[in-house]
Amino acid sequence: MSLAPEVLRLDRVGKRYPMGDVIVDALVDASFTLREGEAVAILGPSGSGKSTLMHLLGFLDSPSSGEILFEGRPVAVLTESQRARIRAEKIGFVFQAFNLLPRLSVRANVALPLAYHGSPPADAEDRVDRALELVGMSNRAHHKPGELSGGQRQRVAIARALVNEPRILLADEPTGNLDTKTAAAILDLFKELNRLGRTIVIVTHSPEIAGHFRRQLHVRDGLVTEGGVA
Amino acid sequence: MRRLLSGVGNGFAEIWGHKLRSLLTISCVMLGVASMVLTTGFMEGFFKNWEDSLQDQGGIEKIFASAQGVKERQEPFAAVSPGLTLADARALSELVTQAGVISPEIDATLPRLARAGKTFEGRRGARVMGVTNAILEINRYEIGSGRAFSDLDMHDDSEVIIIGSKVREALFPSGEEPLGAFIDFNNRPFRVIGVLHNYERFWGTYNTLDWKNEIAFVPVTTMATKVQRSDRLSFLNLKAANISHLRETVDAATNVLAQQHRGIIDFNVRTNEEQLASFASTKASFVIGGGAIAGVSLLVSGIGIMNLMLASINERVREIGIRKAVGATPFNIFSQFVAEAVTLSLLGGAAGVAVAVALIKVLAATLPPGSTPLLSPSAFVVGFVFSVSAGVLAGIYPAIQAAKLDPIEALRYE
Repeated sequence: MSLAPEVLRLDRVGKRYPMGDVIVDALVDASFTLREGEAVAILGPSGSGKSTLMHLLGFLDSPSSGEILFEGRPVAVLTESQRARIRAEKIGFVFQAFNLLPRLSVRANVALPLAYHGSPPADAEDRVDRALELVGMSNRAHHKPGELSGGQRQRVAIARALVNEPRILLADEPTGNLDTKTAAAILDLFKELNRLGRTIVIVTHSPEIAGHFRRQLHVRDGLVTEGGVA
Repeated sequence: MRRLLSGVGNGFAEIWGHKLRSLLTISCVMLGVASMVLTTGFMEGFFKNWEDSLQDQGGIEKIFASAQGVKERQEPFAAVSPGLTLADARALSELVTQAGVISPEIDATLPRLARAGKTFEGRRGARVMGVTNAILEINRYEIGSGRAFSDLDMHDDSEVIIIGSKVREALFPSGEEPLGAFIDFNNRPFRVIGVLHNYERFWGTYNTLDWKNEIAFVPVTTMATKVQRSDRLSFLNLKAANISHLRETVDAATNVLAQQHRGIIDFNVRTNEEQLASFASTKASFVIGGGAIAGVSLLVSGIGIMNLMLASINERVREIGIRKAVGATPFNIFSQFVAEAVTLSLLGGAAGVAVAVALIKVLAATLPPGSTPLLSPSAFVVGFVFSVSAGVLAGIYPAIQAAKLDPIEALRYE
């Protein structure tokens, strides 16, 4: 059986923070590979280093040691602008706090990454429409985020993450601010996206949510271990 | 271009989002630009007026010679000088070849102009001068109707007179034809041969050129022999034929007069040059002063914009983090903030120019003409350049701060 192409690979990646007088090892020698079409849950209690891992995966942060490769190429040699370009074109972020821009309409929020795309696609408008339709928010395109419920906001945030048709979708506690019922609907949306072939990484502290995903990575005290494949 | 436009769009959204704060910043720029444009307008109006009045006095090529008291050490010999007389005018015209026009002038003492029981009063009484046609050229008079003096008038000491428009109005009230009519000048009948143009430049309701209208001219020879009974001149004015030889002409005239007056310096030769020099130096200091005002306004509006941008960055740390997370490069963020600053300052600039134009229109309608500001096209250029540079200069530092923000810190920021 041939393996799907790899999207992200971490090779003995470590991250240390100075915190006052002590040096904190937020992440120690993390090594794993994410392949196209995978759905992975990164599971760990708060403070375990899973957010650090998430930021490293999205090049928002740089490792203190080890190497991260995106599509086989090392990220360390890229300039900040080049990383931003990859973030715009190939990585979609979904946050616990939604992080929509309150002054922009739903539509403008979703279109935001297109503005930072290196060569803006000609079908930009269509893409926004498709992304909104995929998350079921087409009828709210002209509302402001403040006029939406939490679940609706997260759907808009997911549409924003999808609009550039990224290689990988990174979600940091995407259901953390939602009630159980809404959370389940959002999880279903992620599963549906994965079924459509999207690579998904979801960070969570909840084993129950992690249970929805085939592959699990456990983070505890900065150590990453492969969990069970359900 | 598309990004710039989206930056401007963002700018508008931000301005709308913080109406009061933006209004204050825009007012900063507006006041700066308006004061700039107004100052420029006042300066230009002032200089224009000054230049005009310099021209009315004969321009810079005019040379004034007039009688003056002698210095103390020459007092014992003062009597040997014949004083400034018609003979001086003749000597100058023979010896000073650089003098294009020479105008000997005798002011009548206590002149009285009357006709058919009416006496001309005028604002400061009548002024009658014995002149030659040269005065028309040197002091810029034009004959409105009739003719100037002829050689025969001069030679025969004819009793002919050219009158100003106010004199005509007063002595021929019902619009009778003045040409050919006789009026009494100090109880001696003079035939009117010409009427001067009517000159007007209003300062409020006051015509600053009325002195050119309340005047009458008779031949200088007639004035000397029949009225004053002396050929003492009140003024002897020259005009340099070539402006670049002004200095030499003055020197030559001074030498001829000194020789005529047997070395007694009882005359004074001067030009408009000093006025011109003071004009130039005043203009320079005005420009420097205007520049300083511009600099201060630029600084003030710059500080206003920078303050707003810094405050807005503190408020929008999270937004910057989000934008970076979805792929904005530091340069994207930088240009967004600069575009916002420029949008703000351009709005202020446009408002400032509008306010200044309105003020200039109002002032032009209410102020006396001599002191009204002029609306020059340069004002618009100044306003535009001013506001854009204020925006860019004040936007750069906050924009760099924004671009440098660490996306993780920014995302954590609550």
